[in-house]
Amino acid sequence: MGLDYQLVLWNKYKKAYDKIIIISMLLYIILFAAITLIFNSETTIETLVIRAFGSLAIIMLNIILIIGPLARLNSNFLPILYNRRHLGVSMFIAAFIHGGFSIFQFHALGDVNPIYSIFTSNMDYNSLTNFPFQVLGFIALLILFAMASTSHDFFLGNLSAKVWKRLHMMVYFAYALIIAHMFLGAFQQETSPLTIGIMTIGFFTVASLHLITAFKEQKIDSMKMEEQEGWLKVCTISEIEEDRAKIFTVKNQRVAVFKYNGKLSAIHNVCKHQGGPLGEGKIIDGCITCPWHGYQYLPSNGQSPPPFTEKVATYQLKLEGDMIYINPEAFDEGTEVEPCNY
Amino acid sequence: MKKNDEFYVPYIEGSLGVKTKQSLKRFVLSAVGLIIITALVFSFSQNQFKNATFELLSETKITGTFHESPYPMLRVHVAKDTYKNILLLGFGKFSANPYLEKLQHEIPDLNGKTLTIEGNLIYYNGKTLIQITNDEKVSLTKNTNTKLPEKTTISEMTLQGEIIDPKCYFGVMKPGKGKIHRSCAVRCISGGIPPVLATNDDNNIATYYLLTDLNGNAINQDILPFIGKPSEITGTIEKMEDWYLLKISPEHINVKSEVSNIY
Repeated sequence: MGLDYQLVLWNKYKKAYDKIIIISMLLYIILFAAITLIFNSETTIETLVIRAFGSLAIIMLNIILIIGPLARLNSNFLPILYNRRHLGVSMFIAAFIHGGFSIFQFHALGDVNPIYSIFTSNMDYNSLTNFPFQVLGFIALLILFAMASTSHDFFLGNLSAKVWKRLHMMVYFAYALIIAHMFLGAFQQETSPLTIGIMTIGFFTVASLHLITAFKEQKIDSMKMEEQEGWLKVCTISEIEEDRAKIFTVKNQRVAVFKYNGKLSAIHNVCKHQGGPLGEGKIIDGCITCPWHGYQYLPSNGQSPPPFTEKVATYQLKLEGDMIYINPEAFDEGTEVEPCNY
Repeated sequence: MKKNDEFYVPYIEGSLGVKTKQSLKRFVLSAVGLIIITALVFSFSQNQFKNATFELLSETKITGTFHESPYPMLRVHVAKDTYKNILLLGFGKFSANPYLEKLQHEIPDLNGKTLTIEGNLIYYNGKTLIQITNDEKVSLTKNTNTKLPEKTTISEMTLQGEIIDPKCYFGVMKPGKGKIHRSCAVRCISGGIPPVLATNDDNNIATYYLLTDLNGNAINQDILPFIGKPSEITGTIEKMEDWYLLKISPEHINVKSEVSNIY
């Protein structure tokens, strides 16, 4: 958490993370270039650059897209999610080099503007096999640019978490465009079953992990809760681990019921920072701590401890014996609610 | 969700537990393994590039007879009674014409005149082209008319191949054909670079035809929709020393759905 905006709030984990990204990217480019120059030496430098960075970008995008569901399925992977932005910006740089070289090589130094040329040099929009695949790549690159250039808490704070999240969810649209860009472009000419196979496996891995995660979360959302005089039956106290929470869906909103220090409190599950699942967090120093980036909220009022100003909605709980009940009506964000003592 | 007791908080030193570290190590090793495997697969599985050459960093001076038939060429004497017609091209995706204008102000008809041109050679499979980047590098060597190459009509034929832009195909880009390169070829031919039909017979012998309209004039804009697609084209073949010309009408271009076999 931070009050001021800095370009990067460095810590040793971020430095290690970035070193791994840079070394892996260099490893890929060097290996690709060396093998091509040794075994297919008649290549041109432009083609080498376009292919090396293009393939690197799509491989990185596949890795980026599996981090989210992996972290949802196993909390051990959460630290990878924490610094995913750096991986995203690095992937954009690789995609930008690919796109920049391609636009220059195929569309620049001609009789029309290169951007106009992307859209008009091939007009077979009604054909699948002849479709102007560069258009798909160009739109995907614009989306990745919008994402990379707003990939900072300054924009998150100023665009609002909702707008920012929507913008960044467009990565799935960009991914679909890039897959189509490859299959309608490079794979029409470079038809090795190995490369096509790797990309197909990558797509199915990304899709399957998202579906498994969605299925698991849908189970929570579709769980029927018994109602008693306006209160919904949640679970027994023993079903929640100490300093942890259970997530329930109340009136289409996910709510996290936390157990800590002989008390129970319920808050809206969605972190104000990037929409992280607070119910998968932990109480640390008396605060609910988001598993994604460590944003904190007081369980009794859903407010970030001063001087921070984030607030989430709170809910009222009651106990009948060992059974926890929740009032489905949310209080305004940051409303103080007396915790249930047990 | 699979949880463990460890809970990593970015700003709390030492919050990265042993189990989490092990998972991260496994993830990083898997990712690096993936990077190595994919680098091997993607680089090894590329189609072999051809030995087409573009001498970008060196310039060659050639002297020969200029003619537009209909595209600007320089007829160079290479051996007794043997001539090579070198196709003249401009910088980028343009024809050589703008680089000849300065000289044409002095001598409007350059056909048959001896010119010396310095530029970047492009060559592959017996064909040579030269890129001119500066009109100062085009000079008149002899102002007397020299014999122009003769054209002989061979026959009307239907040929299968792909319309390519010769600048990229013969050396500037790899691959300079097919769908990946189509947009670039469209720009080149739209910019005045002569269109060429590249064909390949069953014995893998390539033949190249400079395309013209039925009157033997340059044809560029009308054939843009057919570039970079395997096609069947009917036209009249003419031979002009080391080049064939194919007189066509765009209505006689039939795009095929099969895979192009040129190169």
